[in-house]
Amino acid sequence: MLEVSGLTTAYGEISALRDANLRVGSGEVVGLIGPNGAGKTTLLNTVAGLLAPRAGSVSLDGEDVTGWDPEALVRAGLALVPEHRRIFTDLTVEENLKVGGITLPAADRTALLEEMADLFPVLRAKWATAAGYLSGGEAQQLAIGRALMARPRLLMMDEPSLGLAPILVDVVFELVETLQAQGRTLLVVEQNATRMLEVADRAYVLRSGEVVAEGPGAELRADERLFDLFVGN
Amino acid sequence: MVELLQNLIDGLGRGSIYALLALGVAVVFGVMHLLNFAHGEMITVSGYVAFWALEAGWSWFLTVPLIILAAVLTSLVIERVAFSRVRGADEFTLLLTSFGVHFVVFAIFLLYVSASVKTFRRPGWVTDTYAVGPLRIEVFDTVVIAVTVLTLIGTTIFLQRTTFGLSLRAAAADFDAARLMGIRSDSVIRGAFALSGLLAGIASVFWLMRAGSTVPSAGINPMLKGVLAALIGGLGSLRGAVLGGFALGMAEVLLRSRLPDSVASLTEGVVFLLIALLFIFRPQGLVSVDHAERV
Amino acid sequence: MFPDLRRDVFIPVTAGLVLFGLFVGAGLIYQGAFGGQERLVTFALIDAVLVLGLQIYVGNTGILSFGHIGFGAVAGYAFALMTISPAEKAKRVADAPFGLADVHLGPWAGLAVAVLVVLVVGVVVGIGLARSGAESGAVSATVITLALLFVTHEVARNWPDLTGGDRAGLSFRIGGALDSRLPLYLALLGAILIALLYARSRGGRMAIAAREDDLAARAMGVNPLVQQMVALLISVSVVAIGAGLRVYEKGSILPRDFFFNLTLVTLVMLIVGGRRSVTGALLGVAVITAGRELARRMGQDGFELFGLGLDDAPLDWIFRENLKTVFLGVAMLGFMIWRPRGLLDDWELDRWFHARLQRWRGRGATVPEVPDALSPDDVPTDMAAPDEDVLLVDGITVTFGGFRALDGAGLEVGRHEVLGVIGPNGAGKTTLLNVVTGLVGADSGRVALSGADLSGAPSHRVARSGLVRTFQNLRLFGSLTVRENVEVSALVASTSRRHRPPPDVDGLLVAAGLWDVRHRRARELDYGTSRRLELARAAAMSPSFLLLDEPTSGMSDTESEAMVAQVRRMAGLVGAGVVVIDHDLNFITGICDRVTCLDAGQVIATGTPDEVRAHPAVRAAYLGVSASD
Repeated sequence: MLEVSGLTTAYGEISALRDANLRVGSGEVVGLIGPNGAGKTTLLNTVAGLLAPRAGSVSLDGEDVTGWDPEALVRAGLALVPEHRRIFTDLTVEENLKVGGITLPAADRTALLEEMADLFPVLRAKWATAAGYLSGGEAQQLAIGRALMARPRLLMMDEPSLGLAPILVDVVFELVETLQAQGRTLLVVEQNATRMLEVADRAYVLRSGEVVAEGPGAELRADERLFDLFVGN
Repeated sequence: MVELLQNLIDGLGRGSIYALLALGVAVVFGVMHLLNFAHGEMITVSGYVAFWALEAGWSWFLTVPLIILAAVLTSLVIERVAFSRVRGADEFTLLLTSFGVHFVVFAIFLLYVSASVKTFRRPGWVTDTYAVGPLRIEVFDTVVIAVTVLTLIGTTIFLQRTTFGLSLRAAAADFDAARLMGIRSDSVIRGAFALSGLLAGIASVFWLMRAGSTVPSAGINPMLKGVLAALIGGLGSLRGAVLGGFALGMAEVLLRSRLPDSVASLTEGVVFLLIALLFIFRPQGLVSVDHAERV
Repeated sequence: MFPDLRRDVFIPVTAGLVLFGLFVGAGLIYQGAFGGQERLVTFALIDAVLVLGLQIYVGNTGILSFGHIGFGAVAGYAFALMTISPAEKAKRVADAPFGLADVHLGPWAGLAVAVLVVLVVGVVVGIGLARSGAESGAVSATVITLALLFVTHEVARNWPDLTGGDRAGLSFRIGGALDSRLPLYLALLGAILIALLYARSRGGRMAIAAREDDLAARAMGVNPLVQQMVALLISVSVVAIGAGLRVYEKGSILPRDFFFNLTLVTLVMLIVGGRRSVTGALLGVAVITAGRELARRMGQDGFELFGLGLDDAPLDWIFRENLKTVFLGVAMLGFMIWRPRGLLDDWELDRWFHARLQRWRGRGATVPEVPDALSPDDVPTDMAAPDEDVLLVDGITVTFGGFRALDGAGLEVGRHEVLGVIGPNGAGKTTLLNVVTGLVGADSGRVALSGADLSGAPSHRVARSGLVRTFQNLRLFGSLTVRENVEVSALVASTSRRHRPPPDVDGLLVAAGLWDVRHRRARELDYGTSRRLELARAAAMSPSFLLLDEPTSGMSDTESEAMVAQVRRMAGLVGAGVVVIDHDLNFITGICDRVTCLDAGQVIATGTPDEVRAHPAVRAAYLGVSASD
């Protein structure tokens, strides 16, 4: 579904991502792990169109979408749950979700709202609350729900468990599993590598802007070198 | 007591117009971080449109929609010609761009129309008053307040209930996140300018009815009021802008009537001084935009 | 006061004389060869003084001021009230308060009084600006200065006893215009020299550093608020002189003389020329004066544009006056859209002279020798930091909203020790560094350097005390050269770190491998070089401890290996201890004596790198825990 090849992104002179290759098949859950500053967020933001790549290409279902605007990519079926969630704090939970589905016809939006309320019971309870008042875990669920509202073919998540208490981390991973069971395609950047590898069908390890390892989740998890890949050897 | 009540009503009338202007400034600031010193140009342009229409024998009844249409179009044209080219620039550049727009519009009227004052007839009822007990209320103020309240309610409904209103609020809260949801930056910015122009157009109708004349520099005064009121309210906040408008109108009326005669003419100066003090002690404005989330 | 006499005094003075010669020469040629108006040139000279005054503040601090002409109004009235004869004043402002009706000073004394009055107003406004948190690009500062312009205008209009009111104003009649241009020439030359020398001075460099990056400047011990105040006071003094001369030359003053129009004119001149350059400011004055004159002549002779003629009304003076405004508006808009930094951006004549000179004599220049790393014994005993030099951070707790970013975290590091801080994303490492350096306030806990309590101290004071940091997302002073970046902290160190050996800027540049690029601008550097510069800049503060936030972030393995040597060398050169945050255990193991691991805001392990690496809690923190655990 998603093909990233030779992707290089730089902020001014700083190349944060070098020649990255990555593939996500339909219905797959792919993990993207690696230490701080490895370029994971840069990769997602480039794919989502927030950053312009310096070289390389991104294609979605065979269509070359390199350099497209984020607003066009959403319509092409690609949604991102951004780092730090970035929910609209002044808007209510319901409005946040509606914004997520803004590209859809009104009738579909209403149907999806119901679906989200079922998927996220905690949000249903706070439907009319301003999103700024949600707890970290609720806000993360809202951010994911908001992205699902676009009815994406590929959902990308950036550090969904960051800054959450352990119980809420469980909630996030259960959610990933639920989405996986629904047959959705996910690309997830995650710092909690062990948990991610337990869930992921396949995973990539990114370090210093380069893909240094890839393979099925279970295989990588069993790999003794993983810790060294993370922190250097 | 009666005097205070009288001041209150006068202040509401004056503040209504400021509130409309300030709301327009705040809407544009929300999506573009532009403090628009060209916000008065909608009034300049629609002032000449009103002059021509009335000169041609149109009634005020017909001129009103024309004024509003002119304001909306002006706002959109300015966005297209100038502001769309500096999107994403630093605040210094944005602010000076709007300053430049002001002088260019001024220039166009100066060169192609006239530097002299163009007067037009005002509707007869503008100067009428009626009495409620000991209070003397202007028909004009009543209309202004009523229309403003309706406009604000309408704007609120528009922002709360329509898809476009939702996009606008989302973009004002977090522009990049809004784009990630598929909100098109072009259309949301243009929409913000259209709304801002509409609000300025309604304010313009009242401003022109009261003034009965226009000059190329007619936009400066309303622009300053709008910008200052938006600043008082705390730039990011739409509610703050409306409050700021009423606060500014109220402050002007109260100062004018309460200051000793010798300094009453200094009202404008005192208002500016108060605003400077507000910024020194509360740089975020009256209503600070408080984002509860910070992780 | 100046780091380098030749570069920062002699060359700027030479450049100033050349600029003065060019500007005055152009005026005289125009006047002589084209039969131009004498008045036009005279006012261009005065405008130049005003614009240079404005440039000193706007250019060096990056804060847009609409209020400088307000200061000009204050100076103008002060000057007029001082110098107009009592007999003349009796006609207009017989009841002038404060006994002003009887004052009669000469023009020079009047000018001096005007400057003094403006300085007093400047201090008040400056305190207000500082209070509002002014920094480069701040809207609140612009509003405050705009308010100043309006307040002075309103007061001038409505206090006829003092100002003669809105219509009559104050006029001289007695002396009339200046007898000769000598005072103007002197003022202009003075303004050029002040502007050039200020930009090269200690204070100017610190103000510019804060303009480039407020946070980084504070982390290098610069207090931006103080430097902005200094810039404001120098700037308004020059404006005051320009305003006084303007009043003297015109022979009268009205409230509208110092209001929106003059504000617009001076701002456009500054922006068109290039607000960050003195040469640009002068060029702007010349270009805009010429353009306005052209517009005026077109207005006088009539013209047609796109087939549209002018109004049938006669082209009266109001119209001609306004046609110039038209030109200004178009210039402002056009430059903002196509060239927002003006014609010259920050190109400066004295820099150019200096670069030429360097190149001319540069062929055989020798690379300075680098001292070996400074061992504790090399430091003269009276300069040596006490042996017990130790950084102690204890029990720091920080909450953002409901989120507890730090939960009783702490660390201890001794002199010449290198401590590593590791931990997964979101563990609170950077927050800890922010608390230590005064960027984030802690709910509780203590920061102490050699026993001195630094808890809650502002960043610039923390830096001056000897805790100097770098930033994860590079914060260099982008438009300064590599050498100037290092000089900013060396300047601060030369006054606040006297007990330490003075930093050797050239030595540090060589040691950091930056010698060859020392004249390049920081923003043109590649990533690795930028990182080395940030380190060298911090080292030039002669810190007791260097605090490095992810110095290898975004680097390849070979680059981070080189960084190990780099950090050791820099710290050794200035004899500083090091606290380094990093995610890369390779790097950490290569450089650290001890390592502390943070997770969820708490210290979970401390020990040698190998001990920490083997610690199960560290492993879990990095890789996460399995759901079944």
